[in-house]
Amino acid sequence: MLALRCFMDRPDGWGRNQGREVYQRLLRFVEDNPGRLIFRISFKEVQRLDISFASEAIVELAKRFRRTKGFCLIDLSDKDLIENVDAAAERKEQPILVWHGKSAELIGAKPSEGTREAFQFAVTRPHTRATEFATEKGISIANASMKFKQLWEGGFLLRQESVADSGGVEYVYLRIG
Amino acid sequence: MFGVTFEFPLGCKVMVDAAIRLLSLANQLVVTTRRVRLVFAEGEAGTMGYLNRMGFFDHLRSEVEVRPARPIYSAAELHRGGNQTLVEIARINKDARDQDLPTRLTAAVMRSCGRRPDARELEGAAWTIFAELIDNIFVHSRTRLDGYAALQVYSGGNRLSVAVSDSGLGIMETLRPSLATEFPKLAHLSDTDLLVEVFRLGLSRHGADRGCGLKGCAGKAMKFNADLDVRLPNQRVLLTPARGTYRPNTAHCYENLPLMWGTHIAFAFGLGA
Repeated sequence: MLALRCFMDRPDGWGRNQGREVYQRLLRFVEDNPGRLIFRISFKEVQRLDISFASEAIVELAKRFRRTKGFCLIDLSDKDLIENVDAAAERKEQPILVWHGKSAELIGAKPSEGTREAFQFAVTRPHTRATEFATEKGISIANASMKFKQLWEGGFLLRQESVADSGGVEYVYLRIG
Repeated sequence: MFGVTFEFPLGCKVMVDAAIRLLSLANQLVVTTRRVRLVFAEGEAGTMGYLNRMGFFDHLRSEVEVRPARPIYSAAELHRGGNQTLVEIARINKDARDQDLPTRLTAAVMRSCGRRPDARELEGAAWTIFAELIDNIFVHSRTRLDGYAALQVYSGGNRLSVAVSDSGLGIMETLRPSLATEFPKLAHLSDTDLLVEVFRLGLSRHGADRGCGLKGCAGKAMKFNADLDVRLPNQRVLLTPARGTYRPNTAHCYENLPLMWGTHIAFAFGLGA
């Protein structure tokens, strides 16, 4: 867990410059934790933040580590705050999951029509493989693999290499959070 | 010496957005060596008293002549924070960024509107609008002159006017030169149409992944059916919401207005009961 408030000077995040300062601090924290794949950013005690701040600090971080590390948001229920992060993430075409307990709300970029179902499938389990989705939907493994690859490239999922039963490389896809 | 006189006849009323534009303009004219005179027919009993109450004369450069005479004391200083609906003009100075400014202005909105059922939403919208508009001044305007922000709640809480004014580079001056490389399809648009797109799509000279601030402001204001009024150096554009967004066909533009540097933005929230 990463408490955003600890990286901010004040409970309000206002403007691009402040956002950039906070980004640098967050970046250092992420770099100091090279083994961690997923960072849950807690909004506890963060009162407000504007769109420009969210864009520079949070969305930029998620974008920079797209495909390699994942960032999701927790302790965030204020509609206005969510709306501001959403506007910033949408502009940078970065998807971000906001976790409310066990349910996830996707803000920012949305999956394409063709990958939406695969995303829904993946987000309801901690990790999955293309073969599982292919079996569930009755589609080819190649088709399912392509969908998951697109989701990984778009920043919706993470993936790790694993060894398939056949001995070849197979990817395990991880939801973010 | 070239001189400019502003006359405020009997019964003349000045809204808060006009007041801070006037303040910016008077100060700009003085800086460009014009002699400026404000003449208030009613003296302190009228508009002058209202302007004094919001701190207008505290920010008006001393070179500006005021008739019948400058107020002896600042009513804004005397009554600070005592008025439920009017807030003093806040100075936006690049060298002394007031980190509490959006929060303080929003608190003033809440003093008047805090009992509304949608107060929380209004509070969030107001804070974001102040934060984005004021930050824009810090990031873009490149001027030594101060900017100003002010707000007022009118007619029993049914209308909220929020205004931010800066005397630096206008939004078109910063955006236009980047269109050819960043948004070539928009390069042929008129200033009015381009301004609509600034608020509708979000455009920034820094490229496609920026510009979400003003778009976000418009989105928040739209929830309260807010009219948007933007004064550019020679134009004034009025945008009214239609079907959840601002559109070119409901925009009104006044061209060939007297030169006034900067960008002056005002949102008028309809808070009808």
